[in-house]
Amino acid sequence: MADSSGRTGGSSAALATVTSLPNLDERALVSEAQAGNRTAFEELVRKYDRDVLRLALNLMKRPEDARDVYQEAFLKVYRNLHRFRFECSFYTWLYRIVTNVCLDHLRRRQARPEDQAPEIHPNRMEEGPRDFFDFQKEHRPALDPERTLMGKEIQSRIARAMERLSPRERVVFEMKHYQGLKLRAIGDALGTTEETVKNSLFRATRKLRSELAELR
Amino acid sequence: MSGERKILRCDDVAPLLVFYTCDEVSAEEREQIAAHLANCSACSAQLVQEDALRDAIGHIPQAADQFDTANVLLSQCRSELSESLDELSAPKVDEGWQPFSWARQWMALRPGWSAAALILVGAIVGTQALQWLPFSNSVAPGSAVNVLAASKIPEDKLVTMEVSNVNFSQSTGKIQLRLQAEQPMTLSSDEDDVDVRRVLTFVVANGDRFDAGVRLDCVEALRAAASDEQTRAALLTAARRDQNPAVRLKALDALRDMVALPAVRDTLLVTLQRDPNPGVRVEAVNLLVRALESADEAPEVLPEAPSDFGPGVAPPALPSNGREIEQRILHALDELRQHDSNRYVRLRSAAALRQIALQEVQ
Repeated sequence: MADSSGRTGGSSAALATVTSLPNLDERALVSEAQAGNRTAFEELVRKYDRDVLRLALNLMKRPEDARDVYQEAFLKVYRNLHRFRFECSFYTWLYRIVTNVCLDHLRRRQARPEDQAPEIHPNRMEEGPRDFFDFQKEHRPALDPERTLMGKEIQSRIARAMERLSPRERVVFEMKHYQGLKLRAIGDALGTTEETVKNSLFRATRKLRSELAELR
Repeated sequence: MSGERKILRCDDVAPLLVFYTCDEVSAEEREQIAAHLANCSACSAQLVQEDALRDAIGHIPQAADQFDTANVLLSQCRSELSESLDELSAPKVDEGWQPFSWARQWMALRPGWSAAALILVGAIVGTQALQWLPFSNSVAPGSAVNVLAASKIPEDKLVTMEVSNVNFSQSTGKIQLRLQAEQPMTLSSDEDDVDVRRVLTFVVANGDRFDAGVRLDCVEALRAAASDEQTRAALLTAARRDQNPAVRLKALDALRDMVALPAVRDTLLVTLQRDPNPGVRVEAVNLLVRALESADEAPEVLPEAPSDFGPGVAPPALPSNGREIEQRILHALDELRQHDSNRYVRLRSAAALRQIALQEVQ
């Protein structure tokens, strides 16, 4: 079941901090912040910034880039808060800004291949190729060293495949799988339709599957 | 992708399975897909694969979990944002009348004479004026002495106890501590304020014995009492010596409003020069800049008793005047700008020096 911000239940620990305060308080906080109350603005920042930084870190993979995204996004929010008209939730509006800043950074990085994020260390298998899906049947990976190794290989391949996604696909994938947002909420945040988001997620999943198919 | 009541074929179901596994199909589609899966082993096998892929995706370690387990980066981001907001919202500096500007100018041009004059004034105040003040540390024979209520926790128990839970309400300021000792007990700030404060300061000052999470909670609970001398001494000790960078950073943050005090500035300087964590050093830079600003606003050095910095840590020498402090801070920032191992700290120090220079010009 999705809550008012479009998040699905139990997707991350940080969710609790976002959904625990009633909307009424948030509306009052936003109004206060719009009237120039700095404390109210900082309260809003503290309410959401943990999730924003998490999203930025997961997408950018580098703390210094995530820090830039954090600064840029919240300064944009501060400068443009007077334009917020309560037509959507503050959360959606904030995420629209954050995802746009992330997309800008990812596109800029894509244009500079020398500036790619460091790749997660792949643990190469010394054995021949195996079928990825065979390994999903064992439910106690810690008891099976072979499967542990294979699990690392799978994770490393997925991480590598993620690098090959387009910035938009990556943002959609991250918001769906790691931020726990519904596709409609992602569409709202990205300023696009649910159908477009669905297509992005489908393409991203297909790319991941094709990377893992090489393990067969 | 929604449809009328119809029998779905494999070609229709295959592209929907991705969304079926993550609960992004309509109720009608779900019903139709389930009906198809019940009779199609090929699509059922593909669903198993989709589930396996989703499971694998869910187990990938996230960058956020690896990079910021102690929330140091988050604290750093908040600090930088706050600074940027200060710059955005700062009103233009009024270049009108500035009280005692002639004195500041005279002192700036004659540092030796200024130091001598301030020492002389300090000596006179210390020897003559204190006797006229209404309080004194010495207790005259026969005079009344305030006796505090008997402590629930004797000193030997304090040393051996464990803190199992710290419950702190920011809105009400109430603190509840659960202690594990020979006799487990719960202390509340409503009834046992003195003991609660004793335990909190003990935990913060003796960090090695307690869990980092408990120490963080204790620092947070002590934040409101940072003006108290003993509490401040404990926070200063934590800022200098705690093993955990998040605790050191939080302790510094708790002292944010005390940067005008020499002992706090000295701790900030030590942090700047010796702390191994760049995030903590950046926080020290931010607070030192704040210290300089407050020094401009209030040039007098506030009186303060020497703090206990524990064995092996020399107590900071009290600076003789504001200018000397300023010089030490500037020197430390310049050292950092040139030699710090972390690029961001170098950049931040350079920015702080520019900011200070700009203020001096204004």
